Parts: sequence; structure tokens; C-alpha cells
Amino acid sequence: MTERVKPVVGVGTAALDYDAELMLRLKQGDCASFGVLLDKYRSPVIHFLYRMVQNQAVAEELAQEVFLRVYRSRSTYEPTARFTTWLFRIATHLALNTLRDSRGEKTREYLDDDGAELPARQISDRRPTIEQHMLHEARLEEIRGAITALPAKQRAAVLMHKYEEMEYSQIARVLNCSESAVKSLLFRAYETLRARLAHMA
Amino acid sequence: MRCPIETREQELLLEYCSGTLDRERAAHVREHIGTCRVCGEFTARQAAVWRALEGWDAPAVSPGFDQRLYARIGKEVSWWDLALRPLGVLVERSPRPAGVRVPESAQVDVASPDQVERALDDMEMLREFNGMVRPDTADPKM
Repeated sequence: MTERVKPVVGVGTAALDYDAELMLRLKQGDCASFGVLLDKYRSPVIHFLYRMVQNQAVAEELAQEVFLRVYRSRSTYEPTARFTTWLFRIATHLALNTLRDSRGEKTREYLDDDGAELPARQISDRRPTIEQHMLHEARLEEIRGAITALPAKQRAAVLMHKYEEMEYSQIARVLNCSESAVKSLLFRAYETLRARLAHMA
Repeated sequence: MRCPIETREQELLLEYCSGTLDRERAAHVREHIGTCRVCGEFTARQAAVWRALEGWDAPAVSPGFDQRLYARIGKEVSWWDLALRPLGVLVERSPRPAGVRVPESAQVDVASPDQVERALDDMEMLREFNGMVRPDTADPKM
């Protein structure tokens, strides 16, 4: 196994200082700093929310609310924790509320039928055949189904661990629980996923 | 090393599969996996899950996202400004004599033409709203 490259969210100390500094600049009235934070965290937040609620329109609406709350909180912001911990705490809170409110509904139904929900495809000279496309879609459906089957908190923990590459301690702060509780959440979640997805090797 | 499954330290295997272990510990786990069938199967299945999840791309963000967000922020800011400092955005900061320091809280931002227009629209809406709610006391200037 090779050591993975850290993405934008699993940040080191230097990045922490920079994000906090941007928030402090925003607090002092420098609106351009908000633009920098938005550029940096727009995709991670929307992608996280998309994988949580599995609906792109809802994910973007929730992300709007996340960034609005960041902007609204600028005057009271204090850099007591990593900026990303705070950001993902807001995002997770909104996603969990949405999942709770829509329990029993089919949240993955597309709002429109124009296929806008499908992941953006890489332009390639070697276009996949219909069979390959169908196989890919079937695999994705299986992955989405497996993630959807997880309890909401386990889902959030897996998504932060896998896609945002957050450490246990940071996930614990986002979910407001202990580090050992995060390890337990992840262990149970991956156990379920291994049972459902291991055949995809 | 002792078997992580026997010692109930499976998170070590999870960290190994996610590539977050340091080189030294990863080497110990790799060596153990080579000799332990149970841990070997565990890591093979976990690696399969990891690869499956890697294949799940999120859709591209819609092009109008920032525009929608800034429109909402702009709306909030103008209402907030109206509530806190009704005429603040309309007044241009006047030049002050050298050496005179004005507290930050007393300074007023220079408004761009579209900000002024938006503030006027908001004031117009407020005036209409005020007139509807309390027609007898509504201030014709506000």
C-alpha cells in the first residue's frame, strides 16, 4: 500500500492557519477572503453533501446554506478549531437534518429528467461501449446503495474518512463524539461495506 | 507483530488499507499479512471496498452556484445594512483632515451604483411593507 496524497480538507497546520487567517480577514471586512475560501472548499463541501444525500440539487442547496452560514458567522468567528472542522460540522449537521426530514422518502430521485445528476464524464478518445457504460452504472448503483444502507452517522464518518481523508480526531470533532466512537462507527460501517462490496474486487 | 484481529486492533488494518500508516508500521503490517490468512482476507476485502468507493465520482458543480450564493449574500447584506444603518450605504465617506482617526465602527463604506440602487429598492419595499402593516404610523420617508 502506498501512502496517499492528502486532499484539500485533511489539512496540515500551515493550511489551518491560512484558512483561519482568511476568516479573520473576512471578519475585518475583506470580502475577497470569502471568495478564496469558497474556491477552495466549494467542491469538497458539495461532493460530501452529494454523497450524503445523493441528490445534486439538494446537495447544492445545502452547500449554499453552509457558505451562507459561514458568511453570516464572520463577525463572531474565533479560530478555536480547524476551519474545515467547523465547515464540515455545519455541512454534516445540515445533511443529517435533511436525511432525518426525508426519512421514508426516496431522496435519490432526480429533480429533473435531463440526466444532469449523472457524474461529469471525462472526455476520452476511447469512448466506453454501451455495455461498459451499463456495467459502470450498475457498479455505481451498487456503491450508492451500499452507502445509502448505512446509518447516517456511519455514512458521514465513512465519507469524511474516505473522500476528505480526515483523521479520526477531526471526524470526532465534526460529529461531536469521542475518537473511539468514530473508530467504532467506521469499523461497523466498513464491515457492512465489505459484506456488500467486496465482490467488486 | 501480534495479529491485529486477535488483539482487536482492526483499525490498524483499516489504516493500512487507506494508506495512512507510516512506513515502519505499514511494513510490519505487510509482513504480518503475508503470514496470516485471516488478516490477508480482511485486507483484500477492505481494499476492494476502497477501490469501489474510489470509482464513485461526484457530479460537477453547476456553473451558477457562486452567482446564486452571492445573490443571496447580497440580499442578506442589503437587508442587514438597512436594519443596522438605514442610510449608511447611501452616504459616501467624506474626506477627513490629516491625523484625525475615525473609529472603524463609525466609518461608512463607499457604495457602488448597483449597491445604491439595491438599497433604494429595499427601502422602497420596506416603505410599502410599513404602509401595509401600520398605515396610520408609516413614515412616508421610510
